[in-house]
Amino acid sequence: MKKIALVDDDVDFSEATKLLLQSKGYEVVLAHDGKEGLDMIRSERPDLIILDVMMPEMNGYDVCVVLKEDEALKDIPVILLTAVDQAFFRTTYSKHMGLMTEADEYIAKPVASEDLVACVESFMREA
Amino acid sequence: MLIKPSINVLVVENDIGMMQKCRELLLNEGHWVRTAESVEEAVDIIQRQPSEADIILLSLELPMGGSMTLIETLQKARREPLIMGISEDCGEEALEAMEAGAYDCIRRNFTEAGFWVKMNRALETHRLRRQLGVLKRERQDALTKSKVHHDENILTILNSLTDALVVTDWQTNLVLFNRVAGRLFELNKNEVLGKPVSECIPSDELLSFLIRAVKMDSSLATLMAGEEPVITIGERTLQVHVDPVVSDAGTVIGAVALCHDVTTVEAMDKLRSDFLSMVSHELKAPLSSLLMQISVVNDGMAGELTEKQSELLSKAKEKAKGMITLVNDLLDYRRIQEGKSIQKIESLDLREILERTIELMRLSAEDKQIELTTEIMEDLPLFSGDRGGIQAIFVNLISNAIKYTPSGGAVRVTLTMAGKDIRFKVVDNGMGIAPEDLDRIFEKFYRIKTEQTKSIAGSGLGLSIVKGIVDAHNGTIHVESQPGEGTTFIVSLPTQE
Repeated sequence: MKKIALVDDDVDFSEATKLLLQSKGYEVVLAHDGKEGLDMIRSERPDLIILDVMMPEMNGYDVCVVLKEDEALKDIPVILLTAVDQAFFRTTYSKHMGLMTEADEYIAKPVASEDLVACVESFMREA
Repeated sequence: MLIKPSINVLVVENDIGMMQKCRELLLNEGHWVRTAESVEEAVDIIQRQPSEADIILLSLELPMGGSMTLIETLQKARREPLIMGISEDCGEEALEAMEAGAYDCIRRNFTEAGFWVKMNRALETHRLRRQLGVLKRERQDALTKSKVHHDENILTILNSLTDALVVTDWQTNLVLFNRVAGRLFELNKNEVLGKPVSECIPSDELLSFLIRAVKMDSSLATLMAGEEPVITIGERTLQVHVDPVVSDAGTVIGAVALCHDVTTVEAMDKLRSDFLSMVSHELKAPLSSLLMQISVVNDGMAGELTEKQSELLSKAKEKAKGMITLVNDLLDYRRIQEGKSIQKIESLDLREILERTIELMRLSAEDKQIELTTEIMEDLPLFSGDRGGIQAIFVNLISNAIKYTPSGGAVRVTLTMAGKDIRFKVVDNGMGIAPEDLDRIFEKFYRIKTEQTKSIAGSGLGLSIVKGIVDAHNGTIHVESQPGEGTTFIVSLPTQE
């Protein structure tokens, strides 16, 4: 069974999304902040990572940077997921702008369940 | 031969024969003539005579390089007379003299006709230069005089302004500024008055506006009104309004700039903008959880549902989606207000964007049993625009047409070329818009309230967002409607060269 790591501090969203992805036949592992997520990804070696951006401890961008610099992890596709307004990104997170391309996909919250599934499946097919 | 008023000519020539010849020719035509045999004598005459010579006929063959010395002296002193050289063959020395400022040169063996051809041309030039000089002085005087005779009261009033005021003459030299300007630009009255404004205020933008103002035809002066560019000087952000100063006679004699410090306003805007972004995040995050939870439960992933439960959840889902749309609309609207409706310009295949939009819309059209048809021209040129913006135009207009058309109706979407414009058209046969509402539908939060529309959800922002985006792409939007028969929206987007 393919494994997906979902890192999001919103527990309700995580639990619902876990159910959604499980129903599509994936194993889902959860973490609720950036640091915990990174540890989990290192031990679980998932096939796909879904990262929220605004998280305590370590935000999704920073997690993404670490992942993409790690030889062992950099090939795992990363979907960045956030409800942060795009225009706000450009000012507040401008130093991270270069990283937009580092994530393999970028999805704005709220996302329709069928869109998220479609996106996940497209990566899984490639893998 | 000469019908012009007599002129003052000074002949500087050590060849007495030549001097006499020139003198006679000029006297015969009724001009004033004075003569000098040497540079010293000439300088003496020039300095002594109250009325300046208009033209100096100068031998270029005076001893000890005297001719050039005289030309250079006159040039340095910015004296007005035109210098006409006399030389044997108008060779090297004539070129040298003309480079130094002489107007022209005649040969010693001139004919009478030849002499007058050259002299008349010189006279005409002299006359024009003099007129120009008078004009220049008039303009200069106007503001300089006012500088001298500043009314104490007016200065007091200007100093009471909370905006910075800077006045320049027509050559953009600083002639007046008020207290706020002095503080803002750190100007010291004794040091800067009369100096070019570029040396006093470090802003190329301000300078360019001032130059534009003084160069402006006074009849065009009103065209500048309403244009208020924002410039940055140091850490301050200023909104400037520059106008030409036009004299009673109608000539532009200077420029006046009024600078309004908007630094705090800008900072507040930024704060407000960031605050809205935070709020929208705080709203969207729980809404996305809510939506995901409802979807998962409704799709039976958390156990079987009864039909009634499923129906209730579907309604809840629609409400949550409506709230998300509202939050997004508010954000879009704010972005447009901030002039950020164009986020990123790229070459777009409008056909592909429209086809994808139609796919998204098809479901809601089918739900209402509305026939959604499209006609998209093949080979549309690529369009330079903002992808998100164009999508928003398509989504808003098509979803409006579906919303305001009753079940069983039809919505037709076309994308074609009209001249150099790409034309996007949405035609429905829905409820239509009454003439009195037609003018107001692009206003923000304007919603038409009738028996038919009261059950339709919306923020009243959609069309004002569309209008903002169309404007930002230099396009136009046009609407035609007959109540009860339907509505047509036409968007024209110019393709750039």
